[in-house]
Amino acid sequence: MNSRERVLNLFEGKEIDRVPCFSGMGNITEAGINKLGYRFAGIHLDAQQMAATAASTFKMFGYECGVVPVDLCVEAEAIGCVINVYPSAEGILYPTIKEKMIHKEDEMEIKLPEGLAERGRIPLMREAIALLKADIGGEVAIGSYVLGPFTLAGQIMELNDLLKLSFKKPDKVAALLDVMADAIIIVAKEYEKAGVDYLTVREMGATSDVLSPRVFKSLIQPPLQKVIKGISVHSVLHICGKTNDIVTSMMDAGPTAISVEQKNDVAESRKKLGDKALIFGNFDAYNVLVSGSEELVRSTMRKCIDDGVSAVWPGCDIWPTVPPQNMAAMMDEVKTYGGKK
Amino acid sequence: MADEARTKQILEKLRNGVIQYDEDACREGANEAVAEGLDANGAIFDGLVSGMEEVGRLFEAQEYFVPEILMCADALYAGLEILKPHCKQMDLGVKGSVVIGTVEGDVHDIGKNLVKMMFDVAGFNVYDLGRDVPLDKFVDEQLKTDSDIVCLSAMMTTSMVGMPLIIEKIKAKNPNCMIMIGGAPTSKDLADKWGADGYAEDASNALKEAIKMVAFLKKLRAEKTAQQ
Repeated sequence: MNSRERVLNLFEGKEIDRVPCFSGMGNITEAGINKLGYRFAGIHLDAQQMAATAASTFKMFGYECGVVPVDLCVEAEAIGCVINVYPSAEGILYPTIKEKMIHKEDEMEIKLPEGLAERGRIPLMREAIALLKADIGGEVAIGSYVLGPFTLAGQIMELNDLLKLSFKKPDKVAALLDVMADAIIIVAKEYEKAGVDYLTVREMGATSDVLSPRVFKSLIQPPLQKVIKGISVHSVLHICGKTNDIVTSMMDAGPTAISVEQKNDVAESRKKLGDKALIFGNFDAYNVLVSGSEELVRSTMRKCIDDGVSAVWPGCDIWPTVPPQNMAAMMDEVKTYGGKK
Repeated sequence: MADEARTKQILEKLRNGVIQYDEDACREGANEAVAEGLDANGAIFDGLVSGMEEVGRLFEAQEYFVPEILMCADALYAGLEILKPHCKQMDLGVKGSVVIGTVEGDVHDIGKNLVKMMFDVAGFNVYDLGRDVPLDKFVDEQLKTDSDIVCLSAMMTTSMVGMPLIIEKIKAKNPNCMIMIGGAPTSKDLADKWGADGYAEDASNALKEAIKMVAFLKKLRAEKTAQQ
């Protein structure tokens, strides 16, 4: 059983030989970038470089997927925000939104621009996905990600205002989130056309560290549900932070799997959601994988498996400076320990 | 001069204004405090800050979430703006200045703003560099202002890693400067490892830490007043 079969079987509820070790979020490594002779700042704007860098994590470490893009600004840029890729940065700086579209409350009623699928880097993303698929798609599942409606809205307008208005003017926010959902579905469809096997919906901004479970249910869940319904391939819903109180709502939104980070008690979530639910997680992608020792990496992988994750999967993007020996330790531990389970 | 009962009433108005995120009530309470000759520092600490302490408690009890806190902060500022010009220098031995900002690569500033608010309340000179701030700017600004404290914030793991570089540079030039780091991906271990003097994990913890700091000032102030 190769990695591709293992991951796809997992999604389809079929037999697998062990838990896979993969991600639906960014997982490029500096080791990969250096080997290819690229610069981090360059790969966001070049489909070939983006795809080659994404493929290198599988080629060098056996990581069981290929995922593009690298940054979180694709949708906002296509809708009309200006992004900053920090072109002259020497180190690793992820692109950010330089200019928001909505600056005050009465600008919230926006319409999506015509031909969203051809704007910004969407065409580049289609190309990168196709290249990645042609390169390693026979061996691993190919994934991509979109933002959730609330997280995307937090890029389009001031997050501070969005949060306050979620409380003061929930109807206005709901209307905006619905427009965001439409945009996300358009983008997801393009990625599907380009050949992804699974899509992760990253609703990072809607964590229960920030919003009450009640607001999550009334305001966040409906547009999320709409997005997930609009996705035809396997979908994974990712939310950061303390998610134990909302895992049921996350599942109710209808994804194939949910993804949680280290602040979630997975044993507890497993009890709540039952044996069949696909729960991906949940190690600290920085404090364990990057700055932890090999032994910490190994013991954390074992804990994830013991707690009952369906796939060992990071809580966030893998930070590129991950030491190669930690990547190797992660893969080795999941294969040997996961194989025994 | 307002009598004790009236003073209490005004302080209560300020306190409840913050808790109930009622900007108008805070403005009204602050104007009354000024008109009726209340000590402005007292109105801030025993009215507005006292309300914010309760907000911190409500947050911990998961009755309030970030949207509520942001609205409470707006209410606090509405009162603070009116009271501040009437403040006497407090002379608590902790007056000082602080450079604060979100590091380059990160555009999230909610936690940063909450910490900034408490520095404002405590009467610090606050040099707010905003967000997505190039690393060297922190170093330059610290040197320029000779600030006692530098606060670095990052919400994303992806931007946090710039912090040790700033800390190293500032400490090399000015070892006495206190450095606080904050943001979801930071931890006590990282703060120790990078040589920072303090940390706050996220907006809520930042608020808690900042409230603790201001509560300490409040205690100092109470002791000082009692001595007089």
